Order: sequence, then structure tokens, then C-alpha cells
Amino acid sequence: MNLMKIKRILIANRGEIAVRIMKTACLMKLETVAIKTAVEPNAMYLSSADVIFDNTDDTSEIPIFLNIEKLIEIAVTMNANAIHPGYGFLAENAYFAQKCLDNKIIYIGPSPEAIYKMGNKTIARKIALTSGIPMAMGSEGNIANEEEAVAIAEKIGYPVIIKAASGGGGRGMRIVRKADEMEKMFIIASKEAEIAFHDPSVFVEKYIENPKHIEFQILGDTKGNIVHLGERECSIQRKHQKLLEEAPSSALDDKLRKKMGDMAVEIARAVNYHSAGTVEFLLDSEKNFYFMEMNTRIQVEHPVTELITGLDLIEQQIRIANGEELSFKQKDIKLKGWAIECRINAEDVQAGFAPDPGKIESLHMPADQNIRIDTGVQAGSSIVASYDSMIAKLIVKGKDRKDAIKNCKMALDKVWIKGTKTTLPFFRMLVRHPKFQDGTFTTSFIEKDLEKYYFNSEYEEMLAAWLATKLFIEENLNDDSINVNFEHGKVMSPWLLNKRINQF
Amino acid sequence: MVNDKLHIKKLYALSSENRKYSFSLPLKHTIRIGKRDYEVKLKSDDKYGTYILWKNRKYPVEIIRSSQNKYEILFNDISYTFTVETPFSLKRKKVIDSTRGKIEKETIKAPMPGKIIDVIVREGSTVLRGEPLLILEAMKMQNEIISPVNGTIVKVLAKPNSNVMKDDVLLEIKL
Repeated sequence: MNLMKIKRILIANRGEIAVRIMKTACLMKLETVAIKTAVEPNAMYLSSADVIFDNTDDTSEIPIFLNIEKLIEIAVTMNANAIHPGYGFLAENAYFAQKCLDNKIIYIGPSPEAIYKMGNKTIARKIALTSGIPMAMGSEGNIANEEEAVAIAEKIGYPVIIKAASGGGGRGMRIVRKADEMEKMFIIASKEAEIAFHDPSVFVEKYIENPKHIEFQILGDTKGNIVHLGERECSIQRKHQKLLEEAPSSALDDKLRKKMGDMAVEIARAVNYHSAGTVEFLLDSEKNFYFMEMNTRIQVEHPVTELITGLDLIEQQIRIANGEELSFKQKDIKLKGWAIECRINAEDVQAGFAPDPGKIESLHMPADQNIRIDTGVQAGSSIVASYDSMIAKLIVKGKDRKDAIKNCKMALDKVWIKGTKTTLPFFRMLVRHPKFQDGTFTTSFIEKDLEKYYFNSEYEEMLAAWLATKLFIEENLNDDSINVNFEHGKVMSPWLLNKRINQF
Repeated sequence: MVNDKLHIKKLYALSSENRKYSFSLPLKHTIRIGKRDYEVKLKSDDKYGTYILWKNRKYPVEIIRSSQNKYEILFNDISYTFTVETPFSLKRKKVIDSTRGKIEKETIKAPMPGKIIDVIVREGSTVLRGEPLLILEAMKMQNEIISPVNGTIVKVLAKPNSNVMKDDVLLEIKL
């Protein structure tokens, strides 16, 4: 067995991913340090850590998880010799990775160079081009103005998409269908890019209509071995934010899987990639695929890959960072069964998925051998507006896709969350939708194919109407209600009263 | 007062899509489906909070808002808004609704708390339904607020880089 150089890991993150990393670290008998913040001083992830760094007196507007200097300082003071960035925050910041190395801290992730090259979309495009990876046609590099964008669009044909060079997460992207929209969209995209990524540069590429989003999980070690762990299908998205992911994808057969997987390995090799990474492709209706981007971090949806490969990706990241060689080859990777992940977020599906932050009053998750729950909240936790809206990831497996959907449907009915609105009604609808069931959905599914974003059974509205009527009677028609307010309070059921008290 | 109340034989819960559910008083704890009555139980315990028990299944319920006769209820994670009317108030409501003139102004409110990233329109600009008006960032998502109507912008209250609360008025559009 290899000697573990990594002794103590600073978790530069919060929420479910912090919990997830610490779970594996604990299994590997490695110590962890978590950071306590003023925004979430009672957060669940703190209870997973061996040591807590109290940062509650930090009143700066920038979250600690984005403060490079301070994080390095914490790692040094707390004797952590490794940092795991999780996802989001500094997970794809080349400067942060470099700073770790400069301070002799092991960065659990790829090299700063790989992060930089893949993080810049125009550089990534050039690398893909020289490696012979199929790509949507587009501008050679960044474009300076809308005239240049129009010229390229005339050449490759509308519709085109304007993308931020430093972008990600759907920001700074605009679809343009005709020349006279270009000026407006160019300005919006560039402005958004500047605000979000401090870099206004954008490029143009052919917009692939109604594609599927297929991504390949990559693992590479520092000895030059790179494998892929099959694909994930992430086409269920809204505004480029993924809601449900599955592995494998019903759109791929073994032949296409091998072809795309080889390409994904190829592009990772072009930047000497090590650690876990994800190569994203768009797949059109004719099964042509196009390289989109490479994410140089662990992804939110990594559990679906873990469930069908039996690998622990966080463990692999740690071992790779420790300098170990991958203990398996491509031929050893076997995909078994089917896995689906639902992102249960605090969002109001009926209000266009608007975030609905609040306090989780009660939370019960189903448990059986087909279900995995990754969460960073418990009853009493708050979903705060300063961070993302995730409550939990419900990950369900089955022997095949049909079985996984069936298990997912049953599991969804057993999830119980009170306190905020959630994406549950959306998933309950989705698992019943014929287009989801037959696997023919694309990334435009939510915007184009859905008339209703949620599922309710026939009598649910009637039962809600009954409850409203009952409340009206209690508040207005009971004899007690003519009495003074104090008496009125007495006849109110305690739960209504509770809710009232919480409002003040 | 008390007498009036005792005379009410029926209540109506009107959904926001104008579906009408009627309930006889005193309110029964059963709901009739076809020819069978099913029991509805409103229960509460420490583990689950408040829930409705119906056909052997628990459904979480919460009251999101209640003011006068208007109730917003979260039932099995879906929100429903009802106004509860007596036979008299329902009649009055119908009269009021039929005499109310056409709406001439559309107020655009913030659908969620967040930060205004960009205001795309100006006072005096004409907009078509579906056109972007402004961009609101909330919880790491940029949300394009689109015009629900065709009209002319008469007032712009939203300022770039300012924070807004849910339901803050952002713009007014004259139809």
C-alpha cells in the first residue's frame, strides 16, 4: 500500500459536497478541517469535521470560500496539508490551485495549467480543434464586436450562440436567430460575462438545436493514465442549470460510448489531465456529437457514476492527489445498472423555479438499498439566499432504466420536506411524463415540451380547498371568533399559530 | 352577528383558476368521490408537523398566507390559492367582477429577492410580450424578467446593481 502523504484536508466548501468529501476522508482515516461561517454557524457539514476553524467573526462581504489568501492561511494555521475545493466557489480557479502548490499544500484536483486551459473556452476550443475533437463551427477566438459576430454567423448560418470565454453555468450565453438581434444580444452577453466572470470576452458558435447534453467522467493519474467512467445524461435542465441526471444515457450504444469516451480521454490527455474531470458534449438528433467544454472539478452529479461503476470518485481524487497510480485500466470499467439523480432544491416550481430560501422545518428521506441521499441540511437548517438552493440529492438506482424510474417514482413520494417550496412536484411530474420515460427528451424539454411543471393527483386541489374552507370556518364562523383576539388564538390550531409566530 | 353566521349553509372555495369547490356546513370530515365518502383527517405530530391523512396516505400541508378570506395553502409541496366565499359574498363578487373595467396597467414585480444586473428597457420604450425587460440575479442564477404583455414602459423603478426584495415593483407597463 502506498504511503499517505495527505494527513489533514481543509474543506474549502460547505453544504452537501463538504459532507460528501468528509465522509470519504473519514473512511480513509484522514482528518478534515471545516470552516464555520457567520452565515451558517449551525450548518450540518460542521458536524462531519474533525476540526472546525471558526471564521464567524469575518464580516467581509466576500464568502470565505472565495477568499484565496485567507483559505491558504487557514490551511497553514490548522496544519492541513491538502485542500479539497469541492464544486463551485474556487473549484475551477487556476490561481487558487497554484497558490496551494506555492504554499506546499496538496491541491485535490487537476494542475493549475489544466484548469486554466480548460477554463478559458477559446483556448479549450483550440485544443479540441488540434486534437481532432468534433466541435460546433464558430469563431476562431474571441470576437470584438457585433459586426464580427454577424459576419461569422452569416458564414456558419443562424442560429448561433454567443458564449462568454470565461463562462459557465449558463451565464453570459445568448442565442441569436437573426442578424438584427445580434447587437442587443452581443451587448447583453458581454455585459453579463463581465459582471459574472470579470471578463467581457465572448465568442460565437453554431447553436445546435434540441441537443442532448452528454458528459463523460474522466479520471487521470499523475503517471499519465487516463480512463473514462462512461457517460451521464444531463439534458433535463432549465436555463442551463441541471435538474436531473442519469447514468448511463439511453441515447448511446456501446459503439457510440466508446467513440465519445475515447474522444473525452483524448482531450483530457491534451492537457495532461489528472484528477476527476468531466468532458461535456452536445449530441444532436443524428447522433453527431460536439465538444462543448471540460469541467475541471468534481461535479454535483458524480454519484450517478459512482452507483453504476462502484467507484468512490472522491477517494480516487484523493489517491491521485497523493501521487498514486490508478488501480484499474479502461477494460476493467464495467457499467452496471442504471442511476438517476434528482436535485431537490428550495425552488418554487410554480413560479418558474424561483429560489425559495427558508428554514427546513421537517425533513424525512426514504431509505433502502436502491436509494442514496446526499445532503447538507437537516430539520432546523436554513437554505440561505447567499448560497445555492440545494436541499438534497436523491439518487436512485435500478437494474435498468425502467426499474430505476420506477424506484425513483416510489422514492419521490416518500420524501417529506416542510418549510420551503421544493422541486419535488417537478420530479413527480417528470417520472410520469411519456417523453421522459421513452428517453427522447432534449435540453429544450422543460422550455418546449412541458405545459405543466408539476404533478398533482386528481383530488389534491379539492383537499386543499377543504382545508382552506376549514380554516375560514375556524377563523370566521366559530362562536369564539367574536371574542377578543386572545380568545381567538385559543381556537386556532397550534400549527397555524406556529406559522403565525414564525412570521414575526 | 351570530345569527347570520348560523344561517350560512354553504361555503365556496374558489381556486385562482376559478374552479369552485362547494362545502356544506357544518363542514364534514369526509369528501365524496363518486358514491363513496372518504375520510379526511387533519393531524399534527412532532415528527411530520401538520399533515392531511387521506386514503391511507399522509400529505404535508402548510399555510403560506392567509388574509381575510384568501388562503394560500401548500399541499403536497404544491401551492394553491383560494378565496373562501359565502353564498352572499359570492354573489357580490360576481357583480363587482362584471362591473370592473379593463385593466390598463401592468405592474412588474420582483418574483424573488435578488440583485438587478441590468435594465434592458427605458421609460417610453415599447415592448412586446415575451421580450426581456431586465435581468435579476438570485442564488447564482441570472433570471431574465420578460414582459407578460404588449405595451409601453411608463415607469422604471429598478436600478442596476441595486438589491430588491420579493414583490418590489420594478416597472410599470401601460397596455
